Amino acid sequence: MKHFVLAMATSFVALCSANSLAFAQAAGGVIDVATIGEPPTLDPMASTADLVGIITQHIYETLYTFDADWGPTPLLAAALPTISADGLTYTIPLRTGIKFHDGSDMTSADVVASLDRWTRLASRGKQTSEIIASVEAPDDATVVITLKKPYAPLVALLSLNNSAAIVIPEENAAQDPLEAFIGTGPYMLKERMPDQYIQLARFDGYVPLEGEANGYGGARHQYLDEIRFVPVPDPNTRIEGAVSGQFAYADALPVEAFERISGGATEPVVLKPFGWPAFIFNTKEGLSSDIRIRKAVQAALAPEDMMLAAYGSEEFFSIDGAFYPEGNTWHTEKGTEPYKPLGDTEAAKALLAEAGYDGTPLRILTSRQYEFHYKMAQVAQAYLEAAGFKVQMDVVEWATLTTNRADPALWDVYISHSPFLSEPALMGVMNDTSPGWWVSDAKHAAVDAFNAEVDPAKRVALFADVQKVIYDEVPLFKVGNFNALAAQAPNLDGMVPAPWPYFWNAYLAAE
Amino acid sequence: MVRSALNRMFGMLVVMALVVTIVFVIVRVTPGDPAAVMLGPDATAADIASLRQRLGLNASIPEQFVSYVWGIVRGDFGQSIFLGQPVTQALLQRAEPTFFLTVFSLSIATLIALPVGILSAYWRGSVFDQAATALAMLAASIPSFWLGLIFMQFFAVKLGWFDSSGYGGPGASFGERLHHLVLPAATLGLISSALITRFTRASMLDVLNDDYVRTARSKGMSEWRVVGRHAFKNALIPIMTVIGLTAALLVSGAIVTETVFGLPGIGNLIVSAVLRRDYPVIQGALLVVAGLYVLVNFAIDMLYLIIDPRVRY
Repeated sequence: MKHFVLAMATSFVALCSANSLAFAQAAGGVIDVATIGEPPTLDPMASTADLVGIITQHIYETLYTFDADWGPTPLLAAALPTISADGLTYTIPLRTGIKFHDGSDMTSADVVASLDRWTRLASRGKQTSEIIASVEAPDDATVVITLKKPYAPLVALLSLNNSAAIVIPEENAAQDPLEAFIGTGPYMLKERMPDQYIQLARFDGYVPLEGEANGYGGARHQYLDEIRFVPVPDPNTRIEGAVSGQFAYADALPVEAFERISGGATEPVVLKPFGWPAFIFNTKEGLSSDIRIRKAVQAALAPEDMMLAAYGSEEFFSIDGAFYPEGNTWHTEKGTEPYKPLGDTEAAKALLAEAGYDGTPLRILTSRQYEFHYKMAQVAQAYLEAAGFKVQMDVVEWATLTTNRADPALWDVYISHSPFLSEPALMGVMNDTSPGWWVSDAKHAAVDAFNAEVDPAKRVALFADVQKVIYDEVPLFKVGNFNALAAQAPNLDGMVPAPWPYFWNAYLAAE
Repeated sequence: MVRSALNRMFGMLVVMALVVTIVFVIVRVTPGDPAAVMLGPDATAADIASLRQRLGLNASIPEQFVSYVWGIVRGDFGQSIFLGQPVTQALLQRAEPTFFLTVFSLSIATLIALPVGILSAYWRGSVFDQAATALAMLAASIPSFWLGLIFMQFFAVKLGWFDSSGYGGPGASFGERLHHLVLPAATLGLISSALITRFTRASMLDVLNDDYVRTARSKGMSEWRVVGRHAFKNALIPIMTVIGLTAALLVSGAIVTETVFGLPGIGNLIVSAVLRRDYPVIQGALLVVAGLYVLVNFAIDMLYLIIDPRVRY
């Protein structure tokens, strides 16, 4: 709680100071931002990768985005949608006078064509297409989305920056893959040299929202002339580049680098809490398709030791079984009783005996792409063996893991992680086809009720039911909360810690 | 000599045909899916299958192989799945940093190794020889990523003489780009110099005790001429071999150094292509690297014929 409140307070103060100071800043300057690598595409509809979203959110915009409290707020839309009483019709007014980077005006025809592309190509869009009956444009500045059944997560889906419902010119909407990188964002693509840089330049035709900045929403000022995203896959090189002053911002650093980047030449940026690692169970076939085995694993694991091994210091993690941290709208403790920080080996042994466990190895699929996954797996192996499991660690590199996890015959548990998504419906476990393939009547009852409810207060209560079902049926084991570390140049101001860092509103202070 | 050259060229073609086949098979049997990498962690199996279809990855392996070989015959290595550009273009873009890094580091390596190796052999058993041997052992034992990070911390972070990584931003001049190569070239040059030093020393020791060297000395020739003209010239063949192989190794084997210094070279391209399963790029890059190896070996063999007319293939 203390950490979350502190982070929120820090963010708020940073936000306020950013805005009050920002107006005093002259435009200008170029920054280099070190990222974890080359993005697989510059089409944010085509990928759910965070890296794609981080870069392309400067080029393209969506109808809505998230404010500082992770609520949807208008971006290209003029206001939040008007929702009909039956929850089936969303009427979205559009902002006028918005220009694309090619100089053309954005109209409802562009929005309809873009949403059509989104429902055809984007992973999240395709899921939503089953619910959307039609998308129409009654006039140049209005779009109407009609649903087949009430679906409350729609606006959150339209706000995300990965697998994103970006708005592009109608004439480009048929492109697959996208060839013309034309958006409405504050920065436009100037040059891309793969594995060297992605150069974004200020878009002079940009019309920012009025008022104050508010999370990803509100006013987006373009103080910087250029933002260059530089792929630097080696984390040590990102660290040294930040310390030497080459990079104004270095993303996704290992927590061990905290001291190294605290020397004054660069400053640490801690986003706490950032997300949560999880062990995902294969509920479709094999050993962990037996709920008693999953409950035995749940009892055997000791999240406190696993997080300590993975993150080294309690400064960078917290022990928490709830799927959203204290202070978050969605936080609830309902159902989390089985989450034991130090595990319960005896209970696990009893559950194994009850399940008639025959010594079949529990196959843990993981990789060293994320070192914390591997470290957690090692500690988990020790605790599971203490409880009587035989454990088989299948350590592969990431591309192999993404392929193997799609085959239920190859694994019992795989390790993943997620940021705290603004909308719980976006959690992978909510989807029946997500690897793990969790399907049950209790799940459908809880999730369908949650997705159908439009009233925000009622949805919070319904999410508590969803969390309880997750703990009851154990399709995954949440290990805890972890913080993210980045480095920022002392003269780079106007930044607000964010899971997908953005650089509009950032400026270079006079030395 | 012409017959020898033709024999070697035929051997080259056989080797390249084997490389094409082996690389294609290895890439296809390795688990991993470019569609899954591109779509990101939250993509469903249906999305991945759909993208595989659009990328043409669902064609049968023999069909893909025929298409691949036919493309090579026409000089077309295909289109990168991720980079949005032809493989040939991607390779050409990466050729400049790798070429200059190779030339730069090989120059550093030979400038260190040849004099040190010759003097070590000449002063065999001296303090200089022992120190040089120990240093060569040390250089050969240092992992390139570690030495690279040490150089980075000292010269880039502490002294601020260089950028820590990259190849210059947009519009960087040729001089600026070369400036970015100094630290990685020094890293590779120092490490490569160890092997060349040891070969030079050993090769020189072999010839310094030969009769013609003794004869040259007995004729009253200066030591400089004896060592530099008679001994070194005859010791050159094994030294050239190792320099040539080091050059070929640097083209492909600078993978770690290119990754540590964020250089957009061939090695870096291969690593990223393998990690994201960009099949056309992996195949094209490995084919080019293998071709370079074969060409370097061919060039060395031809040089043997020129330097030592007694050599026959």
